[in-house]
Order: sequence, then structure tokens, then C-alpha cells
Amino acid sequence: MGYSLLSSAQILANGSTIDPNKVDLDAGTVASVVITGISVVFIGLIILILLVTVYGKIFEAINKRSDAKAAAAAAAKAAEAKKAEPAPAAPAPVVESGIEEETVAVIMAAISAMSAGTGKKMVLRSVKTAKPQRSAWSSAGIIENTRPF
Amino acid sequence: MTIINSFLDTMSALASESGFAGLFAGDGWKNIIMILVSFLFMYLAIAKGFEPLLLLPISFGMLLTNLPGAGLYHPEFWEYVDNPEYEHFIDYKRVLEEGGLLDILYMGVKLQLYPPLIFLGIGAMTDFGPLIASPRSFLLGAAAQGGIFFTFIGAAVLGLSAADCASIAIIGGADGPTSIFVSSRLLTSESSNNVGTIALAAYTYMALVPIIQPPIMKLLTTKKERSVVMGQLRQVSRLEKLIFPVLVTLVIALMIPSAAPLVGMLMFGNLLKESGACDRLVKTAQNELMNIITIFLGVSVGATTQADKVLSLDFAKVMILGVIAFGLGTACGVLIGKVMYIVSGGKINPLIGSAGVSAVPMAARISQKVGQEEVPTNYLLMHAMGPNVAGVIGSAVAAGVLLAIVK
Repeated sequence: MGYSLLSSAQILANGSTIDPNKVDLDAGTVASVVITGISVVFIGLIILILLVTVYGKIFEAINKRSDAKAAAAAAAKAAEAKKAEPAPAAPAPVVESGIEEETVAVIMAAISAMSAGTGKKMVLRSVKTAKPQRSAWSSAGIIENTRPF
Repeated sequence: MTIINSFLDTMSALASESGFAGLFAGDGWKNIIMILVSFLFMYLAIAKGFEPLLLLPISFGMLLTNLPGAGLYHPEFWEYVDNPEYEHFIDYKRVLEEGGLLDILYMGVKLQLYPPLIFLGIGAMTDFGPLIASPRSFLLGAAAQGGIFFTFIGAAVLGLSAADCASIAIIGGADGPTSIFVSSRLLTSESSNNVGTIALAAYTYMALVPIIQPPIMKLLTTKKERSVVMGQLRQVSRLEKLIFPVLVTLVIALMIPSAAPLVGMLMFGNLLKESGACDRLVKTAQNELMNIITIFLGVSVGATTQADKVLSLDFAKVMILGVIAFGLGTACGVLIGKVMYIVSGGKINPLIGSAGVSAVPMAARISQKVGQEEVPTNYLLMHAMGPNVAGVIGSAVAAGVLLAIVK
């Protein structure tokens, strides 16, 4: 065992190598190849684990701090807004008949997602189906001709 | 009368030079068998879907090289010639002047050009996000390379030469380009194998991974361990993904310079992709470059398969040791996975350890499948991708080590 460790060290240090055409390798040589190989692979990848973990933690910390700052700013704004105007209970939105509850729920979710970071309080007042003012073709034509270049 | 005579003479001259004459003279029967073997691999590639992108070019190269008189490939041109100036000297002048089509294409293999370029394409297609999010997957990628070194022992026990041992061992890395990179550098005409047989074994077993892995995975883990559901991976920022390839290149190439071509090109391709600034290059690397190199590599590697190396006990040894290599790699990965399961208090599913065998993405999909057999909603795929891509890096490092030791 000691002999093979020594030969592994020798291999790495002196660059003593094995001739490719050598047959019937003895146990010591084989053991040193295996030990060297496994150790080098593990050492290399462990170094990478450490470095990647370290910079991963640095980035997580940076991201958390900026997230925390944004959250704190948002919370502060929300607290101020609450103090300024005690918000009246929002009336239920006026929903046109024929629109499903699920659609309304999705619209409310989208609005709250949009207003989450800004601290403004948005209230859904009514939901109506938009009547198309123009046909799809004419809308496309207008977009095509007014596209900024 | 003389016209008929000279016509008959010409015809008989042509007949004696024809391939058919070559097949039925002397050792020509071996060529017939090799051609039939090439049909077998073509069938496996086309009908059974065994890694057809490589196996079909390899099998057709095998067919082409065993056509007598065609002169597409000359194994004798690739032997080392005594030269006082260089240690290993190949007479490229002869190759260029007298070589056939596959000789010229094989230059890319012998010059160690094609495998690193394939790695460039692989890097451009790989997402290292799951690995960066969970760096301990590197351990599983390293563990699965244990299969390589234990197979080295097996090959040495059979009394094979050092070059053969290293080339057969690297099959356990489950990485075609890596196997070709190592074997093209180390194998000589004195070895009992050539690049073609190593590549055949490597790609056949890569195709058999879905059959080889699951029994070993189930044997080494308990139902409870297989049922572990792993949490969601954290989001990896773009800057982290940009730093990663540069970092890996520096660390690995400085530690083991002989691994630099493979790891360097892998990371180069990845950086091109992550930079977002080289879309055209990335598209080419992922598609046209990969395809061109795959064709050249496949057909020229197939050309090296010769009757005396394939139709022998040595090829059988390669095939047996190859399956042992894959099995051991899977086992080592799963066992280290079990250790991590214990150390993490049951948070890591050992099944992702088998994905350290770098057959991307098949090994990861197998981890997913076996995990789903226990818990149908368990989505292990992303967690298994970490060890899977770490295994690619690990097998490149192992190749570098073998090349540094066996010279």
C-alpha cells in the first residue's frame, strides 16, 4: 500500500510513466494508477465544488440583499400608504354576465402580481368583454404601417 | 482473334484485381465475416436505434475498410516509424501521398482533432445550471468514474498491455469522444485492440445503458431511499453561468494539462452559449459542426476495425470488461449517493448517483424513470442532470490522468 502511494506520488512528481506497450503490469503499478487516478479526479472535482459553492453563496447573498432591499422598500411604501388612507373595504367588482368566475379570479391574480412590487393598491372595479373596435385585419394593417423604424 | 485474346486477357486481369478475388484468396474470408459483422451493427443502429448517429457511420466504415483492393484505409501507414527526432513518429507524408479517403479523414482522429471539437458542440448544448445550483453533484460525477479505474484493474488482471488497459478502462466513462481521444493516442499496432473496437464497445454500451443501469440501481438501494423526493433547485444567475466555464477550465487544465483539450473545448462551447453574444457560432457548434465531425469521426474510426482485432478473444474481453466498467461506474455512483443520503439526513435520493455515468441525458432520464416507479410524481430529472454533466467533466479528467500516466 505504501509502495503504491509512493509510486503515485512519483508519477505525479517526476512524471514517471508507464510504457503503453508494457504487458503484464504488476500489482504495484496497477494500484498506483488506480489510486492516482481516483485521487486526482476527486481532488479536482472537490476543488471545483468548493469554488462553485463559495461563489454561489456570494451570489445568493448579493441577490438576497437586493431582494431584501426591494421587499423592505415595498413594505415601507405599503405601510405608509396604509397610514395615509385607511383603505375602505373594496366593493365587489361589477362583472358582466357570461364571464366565468375563474376568469375574474385570474384577472385579479394578474393585477395583484403586477402591483406587488410597486406598493400601490389596485382595486378591480368591473369586468366587461371588450367589443372589437376594428377587425383583426385592419388592426394588423395599422400596426404594420405605424411600426417605428 | 487477337482482339478477343486481348479482351479476355484484360477481363481476367480485371477479375484478378477485383475485390471478389481478394475475398476468396488467402485471408479474404476474414473480410467477409467483418462485412457481415458490419451488417449486424448497421441493423442495431437502424432497426434497434443503438446510438445511430455514431454507430451507423462506424459500421459503414467497417464495411468500407474490409473491401479488398479498395484501398480506403491502410493500417500500416499509421504505425510508428523509427525517427531520431521524434519519440512517436507517423509518416504523414506517406499518408498524404498514398492514403485513401478514410486515411485522410482518420488524420483528424490521430491528430486528436475530432473528439475535442465534438466536446465543443456538447458544451454548446449543455446547461450546467443544475450542477452550479447543487455543486455536491460533482462528487457523484467523480464517484462514477471509479468504474474506469476498477476496470483498469480488471484489464490488467487479464494481462493486457498498459495501453489496452487504459483504453478499455475509459469505456467506463460512457463517453464516446473521450474513449476515442484516449485510445487513438495510446493504442499501437502491438496492442490487442484498435480505436475501432474500443469505439464499437463504447457506443454499444452507451446504447445499452437503459438495460444495464436499472437492475444495479435497484439492487443497491432500498425502497425508502428510492422514494426520496428532492426539493426544487435554486435559480442560477447568468453571471454564475458565465463564470463557471472559465473557472472549470482554469482549475482542471492547470491541474491536469493532458485533460485541457477535452475540458477546455467543452467549456469553450458552454461559454459561447451562455454569453448570448455568439448566437451564430453556437448554432453552428450545436448543429453543423457536430454533424460534420460526427460523420468524419464515425466513418474513419469504423475504418480501423480489422478482422484480426475484432474476430478474436480480445474483442470478447473488451465487450465483457466494457459491461463491467459501466456496471461498476453505476454502482460507485449509487453507493456515494447512499453516503450522501445518510449525511444529508435523507434529503438526497441515491438514484441520482447513477447519472454520474456521463451518458447525457440518458442516464439522467433513467434515474427519473426508476424514481418514478416508486413515487410517480417524483421529478428527479433536473437533480440527476447535475451529476450527469459533472460526469462528463469527470470522465475528461480521468482521461487526462490516464494519458498523463501511460505515455
